[in-house]
Amino acid sequence: MARTDGDEPRRQDLARRRLAAVVGVIGELLITAGVIMALFVAYSLWWTNVLADREAKRQGSHVRDNWAKAPAAATGPGALDTKDGIGFLHVPAMRNGEVLVKPGTGSKVLNEGVAGFYREPVKAGMPWDRQGNFTLAAHRDGHGAKFHNIDKIKTGDPVVFETRDTWYVYKVYADLKETSRFNVDVLDSVPKESGKTRPGRYLTLTTCTPVYTSDYRYIVWAELERTEKVDAKRTPPKELR
Amino acid sequence: MYVWIWRHLPGNAWVKALISLLLVLAAVYVLFQYVFPWAEPLLPFNDVTVDNGMPVSNGTVAVVR
Repeated sequence: MARTDGDEPRRQDLARRRLAAVVGVIGELLITAGVIMALFVAYSLWWTNVLADREAKRQGSHVRDNWAKAPAAATGPGALDTKDGIGFLHVPAMRNGEVLVKPGTGSKVLNEGVAGFYREPVKAGMPWDRQGNFTLAAHRDGHGAKFHNIDKIKTGDPVVFETRDTWYVYKVYADLKETSRFNVDVLDSVPKESGKTRPGRYLTLTTCTPVYTSDYRYIVWAELERTEKVDAKRTPPKELR
Repeated sequence: MYVWIWRHLPGNAWVKALISLLLVLAAVYVLFQYVFPWAEPLLPFNDVTVDNGMPVSNGTVAVVR
């Protein structure tokens, strides 16, 4: 009969078509996964920078507004506004303008496109302290990538920290191009790995390395050279001119 | 999968293309706004601090994770 004749090829045909459909769906899923990964790269390396730069700019001008508004008499050790940010970091060698510095190194803070000073595991010393290590962290890539060009910093380069009243001019004296992520000794108030043995006024920059990963940490150490009072026109020190 | 979606979209080819474009944009929006921000901290690409989240005792590093 015609019916039984056509049955066997039809079943084969059906099985083949079903297999093709399954393979097709798997292929489409793989393509979709690839597209999503490409989108994630775009998100990480571009979109987070857009968001973070926008946020950092907003917060930075907020801090500057506050500085401009506050009368000079109100400035004392107690008048420090730490929540909004304590000042701006200028590293000419990194060619990225000014970086707002805020308390904390959690991802919520750093993702705003700012640098954070450590509160744990080792509490940072403040630039205005008599001695201590002002330890900072910021993103190497994405979220503003504020320390992207950390590898361009050479020994002898200036690092300037700007507060409402004072320019703190540091000079880079050592770096560590690759160290373990667990190396918290770099944050010590006297960072021995940098070759220092006496208390002083140090500054430490930390970020991840190599670029686009976070396998290791890159460390740059600087020491305070001098301070300058901020004048009425906020004339930057000669290192930034 | 995509063929199945295409077949179930209403209208002629132009309308289908337009709806597809909107669907793609919606998917990208959801990814950028919700999925990637959620996924990013779970991926090991962007830790910049030393001893991130690890408690320290007596100067030695205790790894708890």
